[in-house]
Amino acid sequence: MTRLGCLPTLNKHRRRKRPFAAAGCFVHFRLFNKVYLAPSDMGAVTDDEVIRKRLLIDGDGAGDDRRINVLLKSFTKWCNSPGTPEEGFTQRMLSTLAQCEFSMGKTLMVYDMNLREMENYEKIYTNIEQNITSAHEKIAECKKEIQRAKRIRKNRQEYDALAKVIQQHPDRHETLKQLEALDKELQQLSHIKENVDDKLELRKKQFHVLLSTIQELQQTLENDEKSDNDDNIQESLAENGE
Amino acid sequence: MAIQHFTTYPRVLCVSTDVITARLYWSGFPLCVSSPCDSPEQRRSVCSRMGPVELLHMSVFSQSFSPCGRFLAAGNNYGEIALFSLSAALSPEATALSKKAVLTFTAHEGPIFSLLSTDCFLLSTGNGEISAWSWTELIKKNVKPLWTKRPNYKSSLEIPEINSMMIQSRDNSLVIGGGDNNVHILDLEHGVFKSVLQGHSDYVHCVSVRERESEILSGGEDGAVRIWDSRTGQCVHCIEVYKYESCARPQYGKWISCLTTDSDWMLCGGGPSLSLWHLRSLSPTSIFPLTGCQRQATFHQDMILAVGDGAFVSHCLLGGEVKAQIPCSPQSVNTLQLNANSSEHQVLTVGGSSDHIDVFTNLSYRAFSLSF
Repeated sequence: MTRLGCLPTLNKHRRRKRPFAAAGCFVHFRLFNKVYLAPSDMGAVTDDEVIRKRLLIDGDGAGDDRRINVLLKSFTKWCNSPGTPEEGFTQRMLSTLAQCEFSMGKTLMVYDMNLREMENYEKIYTNIEQNITSAHEKIAECKKEIQRAKRIRKNRQEYDALAKVIQQHPDRHETLKQLEALDKELQQLSHIKENVDDKLELRKKQFHVLLSTIQELQQTLENDEKSDNDDNIQESLAENGE
Repeated sequence: MAIQHFTTYPRVLCVSTDVITARLYWSGFPLCVSSPCDSPEQRRSVCSRMGPVELLHMSVFSQSFSPCGRFLAAGNNYGEIALFSLSAALSPEATALSKKAVLTFTAHEGPIFSLLSTDCFLLSTGNGEISAWSWTELIKKNVKPLWTKRPNYKSSLEIPEINSMMIQSRDNSLVIGGGDNNVHILDLEHGVFKSVLQGHSDYVHCVSVRERESEILSGGEDGAVRIWDSRTGQCVHCIEVYKYESCARPQYGKWISCLTTDSDWMLCGGGPSLSLWHLRSLSPTSIFPLTGCQRQATFHQDMILAVGDGAFVSHCLLGGEVKAQIPCSPQSVNTLQLNANSSEHQVLTVGGSSDHIDVFTNLSYRAFSLSF
């Protein structure tokens, strides 16, 4: 980049008339134009391009650019000065140069920092994307879980409902026990009934025997009586006939 | 003959049932006069823009989702079916217009009590007959029915209405319960009525199907839930719900208006309280303490959703407790449907004695309403 220190005032006049509305850092645009190439040297480049480029290069324009210009001005003055310059002059120039170098170094470090920050952001970005996908998967899992849990709950409730109904019916063991007890009672009673029946039979038979014996005896007695009577009648007939 | 709708508002539709002419009026001036429309097709194409009085008296009796899950068909008491686009109404840039019906047409002369969707058809019942519409044609706004059938009714004097339909997928047949106290079974492949199940002494309100055991359940006005074997056509069981003390509510009556089954369990309600029955043992396991008569109930995951008298949807647990009652706009709700055909539009829609159909995207609150 050639530096034209010549014709500064001419450029100043020429440039002051141009309206620059857009950026907020047009304060030192005249300084830009003093230092950098005029558009006419670059051929077909438009004013806006130049403005943009210059703003990009040094947007703030407060400290650095002025320093460079001051340095250049003092250097040309020093070159063009007839006699020996003042003592502090060289010192001042060197210090300005050092300041410029320092600011350049600072800008380089900022650039490095920005690059590293970008990398960091990329990393965080991929991390977040991974988290999002894993969260999606977890959500799907949880939805499946919920479906399962609902099924389980439904089954449990059905079970409970049925259990409620079943509870209303009496316990099977109890009923079986009652049945057993009843069975035993039944058996006992039938046993007793059998016994009583047997006894009844026996007594019937005995009475039968007794009665039949009595009847026979009666018969025998009657027979005897009859035979006695017959004997007596025959005897009386025989007595009467003699 | 009798004039069906008439209002004095600027937009008036005057339709006579036995129609000689139908006139559309706009601001008192006859807009168009149609030729004698004694054909159902022409009647269907006279699609009315309802006045406020008609909208006030509208009741939605039935709903059905399309097989793709993107459309909802709803039938009302005027015999109209309205098609709503769910994808438009649920999309992020939905406007008030997307919540109106994309297509409304008169399907029957009487109220449409039941709508059912199969893989490609929409079946609707009205005025004692069943019409089938192709969903693809309806989406293209072509309102010509594929076929119309009428079961053999014994009495030809009055036409009994058809209250409920259910598909038995095992043998591709349609079970119809209607006002003639019988359950008719229509074979959808051959289009003939296979059998008639007789046994109810009053009209049949609702039918349901147990796929695994191939049984048909029907509940009716006479308070009996009859379980029929679909192969032999015999009544296997007859449960008289009002005779069970725990369920009975004599102040409401003995009729059964809602019946649904989950293979082993059955929900039935109406006059008696809504109760959950175990079908193997035929015993009521839980009684739900809901006031009012329930008109439709369904099993959903681990809950029971029930609608009926009262402007809310009741969520109940199987154990018998009422978990929540979500308010909705119709004062008395007739129909409840869950969209199981689409994974992205899984909504619950509820319709009743209002011209609005409430859509619940999350079961806990009403998201918005579609209007006829």
